[in-house]
Amino acid sequence: MCFRQLAAVAVLALVACRAPPPPRAEDSGAVPWDSVVARARGTSVVWRMWRGDPSVNAYVDRWVAPRLRERFGVTLSAVEGQGAEMVNQLMVERQAGAGGSADLLWINGETFASLRQAGLLSGPWAGRLPNAVYVDSTSPIVRRDFEQDPAGYESPWGTVQFALIYDSARTPHPPRSVAELGAWIDAHPGRFTHDQGFTGVTFLKTLMYAQGGGVGRFQGGFDEARYAAGRQAVLRWVASHRRAFWRGGAAYPPDVAALHRLFANGDVDFSMSNNENDVVTKIRQGILPASARPLLLRDGTIANAHFLGIPFNAAHRDGAMVVANFLLSPEAQYEKQRPDVWADGTVLDRTKLPSEWADRFSALAADPRALPADSLRKYARPEVSPVYHARLAADWRTRVRQAP
Amino acid sequence: MTESRRGWLGALLLAAPVLVGVGYAVLAGFDVIGPGATGWSANRMVRVLSEPAVWSGLGWSLRVATLSTALATVTAVVVAVAFRGSGRGDRVGRALAILPLPIPHLVAGAGAVLLLGQSGYLARLGMAIGLVGGPGDMPPLIYDHAGVGLIAALAWKEFPFLALVGGSVLATRGNVLEEAGHTLGAGRWTVFRRITWPMLWRGMLPAIVAVFIFAAGTYEATALLAPSDPRALPLLTYERYTDAELTSHADAFILVLVGVVVSLAAVAGHEWARGRWERLTG
Repeated sequence: MCFRQLAAVAVLALVACRAPPPPRAEDSGAVPWDSVVARARGTSVVWRMWRGDPSVNAYVDRWVAPRLRERFGVTLSAVEGQGAEMVNQLMVERQAGAGGSADLLWINGETFASLRQAGLLSGPWAGRLPNAVYVDSTSPIVRRDFEQDPAGYESPWGTVQFALIYDSARTPHPPRSVAELGAWIDAHPGRFTHDQGFTGVTFLKTLMYAQGGGVGRFQGGFDEARYAAGRQAVLRWVASHRRAFWRGGAAYPPDVAALHRLFANGDVDFSMSNNENDVVTKIRQGILPASARPLLLRDGTIANAHFLGIPFNAAHRDGAMVVANFLLSPEAQYEKQRPDVWADGTVLDRTKLPSEWADRFSALAADPRALPADSLRKYARPEVSPVYHARLAADWRTRVRQAP
Repeated sequence: MTESRRGWLGALLLAAPVLVGVGYAVLAGFDVIGPGATGWSANRMVRVLSEPAVWSGLGWSLRVATLSTALATVTAVVVAVAFRGSGRGDRVGRALAILPLPIPHLVAGAGAVLLLGQSGYLARLGMAIGLVGGPGDMPPLIYDHAGVGLIAALAWKEFPFLALVGGSVLATRGNVLEEAGHTLGAGRWTVFRRITWPMLWRGMLPAIVAVFIFAAGTYEATALLAPSDPRALPLLTYERYTDAELTSHADAFILVLVGVVVSLAAVAGHEWARGRWERLTG
């Protein structure tokens, strides 16, 4: 393919070319963990992650990074990058034959699917982490990433569950199901909307489960006919309430941050988040009013886990594994879940932990600001194939957004 | 190496990054490279260019660019003419006018959200004096179909640049011709219309064209202020480039090429206008 070569040359002309590092034979074998830790000492690990939340950044920069330096001699630097941007970056690096610009990636769902599909992840490695023994391997939320088998190419890191956000002072009796929400929207025109980003699509997917016959109908891989029926159900629901949406359903806030702003300023009465505990941190940051509360719809809300991956061209694989292992430790998982830190759910199984840590996790679950653990579990619905997410996002754009 | 050959080489070096980028976009647009590439095929090109969303997005972006550039130009001319003197008031006026220059576009966009949103400062002022009942009564100025907030934010960000250019045109070429006009008995308005304005717009035109091209393609303020439909061209480009479906990414390169064609057309229009008046004024 001479054009393809020509194109490759054109790219190479721009990017300083460096041959990709040859795969190191000892990585694939069972090198003792101590050797991994020894080789990691003195390395710098670049972690490409979403940097959009000050609470998350503070946890990573001021709690995780100093401990890694002290205990393992690993320097951690977190840089911005998420989702498809990350995929594009790695794709360009591979086309250019350049060395990797990151050693660790915060990923899940569709990003994991894209990275795996394009062969951009290294692995399997996750099972080799000593702290992997604590992982809650029975939880359907942790064991599968949007129905995909992580297969050791990513290590679980945290769990979240979708929740609506309302203001208990403004709306003392919020709707508790999709049907009640529809009735509430009709009764309060202009006071509800969702964003165009990931969170908004997750809300639409919640509708798809609720109106399309339950999550079970969409499990077991993507199915065109089932999707078509689910989409119809979503579009029907949207069409019947849309005129009562904010701006008559003709405009949607660009992202969830914009939705939070509309909610906080009183333009609308609901916001939403992929993390049921987001309310606590956002209240502390002064973004949401003190009377804001999370709300689970009885039809079920989507829960998922996020993971850590190592790119195929990572320069410091050992360092990245040491970081991933530390993040999976009871200590780091506990700190992350504290409502005053980030309130991100743990992926560890309490019953597998040493009793000291099990007790501390139990105390966290009893925090009055958190949603009760049993109702979280009761209403949690797993993610389905990422193709559903991608298709629903695309179809919403053409069939709803473009047809005001 | 001859003079002209050196010139060509210099031009080529300057253009190289753009040419490589455009070359890549062409290859990706025709499915030669990138994820899901099939080898030379015009299918993607035909599909993307026949999407109504692309044309409505392009139209919307061009309208916003035209209106914001026009608003910025008028403001810049007023500022350049009003504060052209060397007195203290003129100097202060000129300094105040260029204040928006160092402010990032992202900050200007966020400022417009705070000021112009339906619960923004303007709306609260309206509520305080009883003009507006609640957020819903305030006419939408952001995420709005007309793009009022975006046009205002872009015009506010770009007018100081044009005012600087206008000011320097007046300072270097203005006085002698205008004084000649006055001496020949022309009134103030006639001098402005026949001397100052033609001189200004010809001197400012390259900068105006640059502002127009920038406004049509800028992402930051657009992402914060533009409506969800029609989807402005830069937002549509980014959306395709970051789509969960890897094979949609090459769509973005076609949209980039659409943007490049717009820019080239604007530059060509400028060259044509310049050629015309150079013939006229010889």
